Amino acid sequence: MECVVQGIIETQHVEALEILLQGLCGVHREDFRIHELCLKSGPNLENNKSSKKKSRLVASEVRLLFDLYQAEPTWTVKHVGGAMRGAGADQISVLVRTMVESKASKNVLRLFYALGYKLDHELLRVGFAFHFQRGARITVAVSSVNKMLKLHATDGDEAVPVTPGIQLVEVTAPATSENYSEVVAAVSSFCEYLAPLLHLSKPGVSTGVVPTAAAAAASLMSDGGGTTL
Amino acid sequence: MPLKWVLHWQPNAGTTVNTQILNEVSQCVESINGVKEGRWKATLTSYKPMVREQSLTAEFPRDFLGISLPEQPDKYYFMIRGQRLVVEADSTIQTIMDKLQSYKSRVALCFEGFQYQLGDFQLRVGKVVPSHSENLRGIVMEVEYLPISSMEKARQIIEEFVDIWQEAISKRSLPGHFMHIEPNFAEYGLLDHYTPQHTAVQYATVVAQMIATQTVQAARN
Repeated sequence: MECVVQGIIETQHVEALEILLQGLCGVHREDFRIHELCLKSGPNLENNKSSKKKSRLVASEVRLLFDLYQAEPTWTVKHVGGAMRGAGADQISVLVRTMVESKASKNVLRLFYALGYKLDHELLRVGFAFHFQRGARITVAVSSVNKMLKLHATDGDEAVPVTPGIQLVEVTAPATSENYSEVVAAVSSFCEYLAPLLHLSKPGVSTGVVPTAAAAAASLMSDGGGTTL
Repeated sequence: MPLKWVLHWQPNAGTTVNTQILNEVSQCVESINGVKEGRWKATLTSYKPMVREQSLTAEFPRDFLGISLPEQPDKYYFMIRGQRLVVEADSTIQTIMDKLQSYKSRVALCFEGFQYQLGDFQLRVGKVVPSHSENLRGIVMEVEYLPISSMEKARQIIEEFVDIWQEAISKRSLPGHFMHIEPNFAEYGLLDHYTPQHTAVQYATVVAQMIATQTVQAARN
């Protein structure tokens, strides 16, 4: 399981956000350049959801991630499952969902193609992340999401931003069914520190950029982030 | 990692494998001064696609296997023999496959038994049984030569050891013999330096051979 919230920020304020995160986390940023392939099962493979209810054919979806910046590049297979539902889930401001990852050898893409999976779309995420412990093992990733003009073309010129001038900020933390409420609390409380620059909410619930961002960024840039917001 | 050969018991025509043979094999290892160290277990699962209609099965691989090995408990190996494909992944990949619900287990075989140390060699003798059953389907034996990782460099010494072993076991006049089939690892993109993926390929080869032998015997009967 993981807890997740997302927000957006104008690219011009990313540097200020980085200063703020550096101050809050006390660790160095890690750059990433991740090639993400989203695969879906072909029409003839089905999963249980469809066999129980014939009218609703659901393709299963899996993501293969490849970090181009790693010295020894590895593939990661990632499955993101359904969000936790119910009255309790509605009341919290963080999305809790199942998520499973597995590292795999480089021929894993060939395996999924052989099993009948097809490439649905691919993305290139370029940005940086902070990993730190603050009530939970939190990761903040700031990235520009790019689409590729040609298949698998991950070079700079061949990838164009999906939302020019806007970057995606994602805060995630691993959780279990036993501890997720504490993790949710840790993530929520961390998000408050970022509030002047950006608003974070459950994925799919877009809240746009915050009006105070420019002023907060200017303040951070002028004094190097030394002032408590 | 050290390299190994995976051998399997090939019963003589008209005979089948039984627990008496397994006991004799274990005694034979001890008679050549193999020191019993502990238990081991590997599994091999055959998966089948979950298709909308049975007629569509032909579109998908029939020989999709998943293998877990005792020396790499955090890893899992997928294989499609027909396409000469072997993939190493973290064992969490099994949870991902469960969640994707596009393939499910058709049959699972367990390889389990005892491990023995014999100088620079490590031997594992085990029975092959379907999971949740004690119905003996075969016998396997791993011969691992600990000091060397290069298949070619170790070839002579491991061949000599297996010859000595074959001679020892032949004195017991059992109705069959151990057989070693070396897969063409290069076809799988595997090199001379031994990896757990080599072991996965050997187990898949052994199981294919066992199934083929049993199919022939069933046809004769």
